Amino acid sequence: MKNNTPEIIYDKDGNPHEIVDFNNDYIASKLGFWLFLFTELMLFGAMFLVFAFFFYRFSADFVTASAGLSILLGGANTLILLVSTYFMGMSLINLKNRGIEECKKKIYITLILAFLFLLIKLVEWSIEINHGIYPDSEILNAKEHGVILFFGLYFTMTGFHGIHIIAGIFLMFWVLRNIKKGKINPENHIALENVALYWDLVHLVWVFLFPLFYIIGIGG
Amino acid sequence: MLKSKQIEQVHDIDAKLYYKIFLMLLALTLLTFLQPFIISESLYSTVSIQMFLALIKTFLIVAYYMHLKYESMLFKVIVLVAVGTLCIFFIITATDAIFRNETFDMFG
Repeated sequence: MKNNTPEIIYDKDGNPHEIVDFNNDYIASKLGFWLFLFTELMLFGAMFLVFAFFFYRFSADFVTASAGLSILLGGANTLILLVSTYFMGMSLINLKNRGIEECKKKIYITLILAFLFLLIKLVEWSIEINHGIYPDSEILNAKEHGVILFFGLYFTMTGFHGIHIIAGIFLMFWVLRNIKKGKINPENHIALENVALYWDLVHLVWVFLFPLFYIIGIGG
Repeated sequence: MLKSKQIEQVHDIDAKLYYKIFLMLLALTLLTFLQPFIISESLYSTVSIQMFLALIKTFLIVAYYMHLKYESMLFKVIVLVAVGTLCIFFIITATDAIFRNETFDMFG
């Protein structure tokens, strides 16, 4: 229950100040989100750690397995994510400059690109699954140790990344709804700013996933 | 509490700069594609160059797209602590991976 008694805090000189609003703390909202991003960093960091360990031990197998992936599809997704982060960031700049319609348009473009990313990933996974390459398949289990590990990590890491893309899509729809309701506006844009931060992290993870899974097969 | 004008000052990044960073990231991405076709001496050189390119991209994304350059020292320090912690994990695991099958006899 809300009561109307004002809450008072005191600064270090003992001067009283009335607490106006607990829910509009810009810095705290962003700091909280950065802390969440660190949990994400640790989640993906641990998976990259496992990748690095086995890549060191089974380098030749990892190169062979990587050569089987489609660099064109992986490359297309790299470009899509890069362009989508640009539009996501621009949507925030538009909102701050009071261009609400422009902001919404940019979020819609980001959404389309996110769906396109998922579609390409689906095609890519389907190709591998059709070749009998999926975790614990007979064909995969008959291959070398390093190849099994590579594809295990490939499905786990790109799968986790895909889940983050799906979560990002939900967040973008949520942001659009709140812009429509006026809850996210040029004065109160922290929610969009945090979603843009999240989308940058999703992009950042892919910046490392792409060379490690797709390029080593060519460069090795 | 921060007023909205102060908030704008904190995020002093404009569309022009954003576009410039995008072009730089695009150029780096093209280099990522082309590198194995241009320089492909060994797996070691490919991985090293690719990770170097990825780190430059990371710096640009975190500094400009994630606005860390314009944040207070508090944000910068906690990001460094998180990355530093992850690096410790990597260093410890790397020593395990490299020296796992070697025996060290310090009295031998």
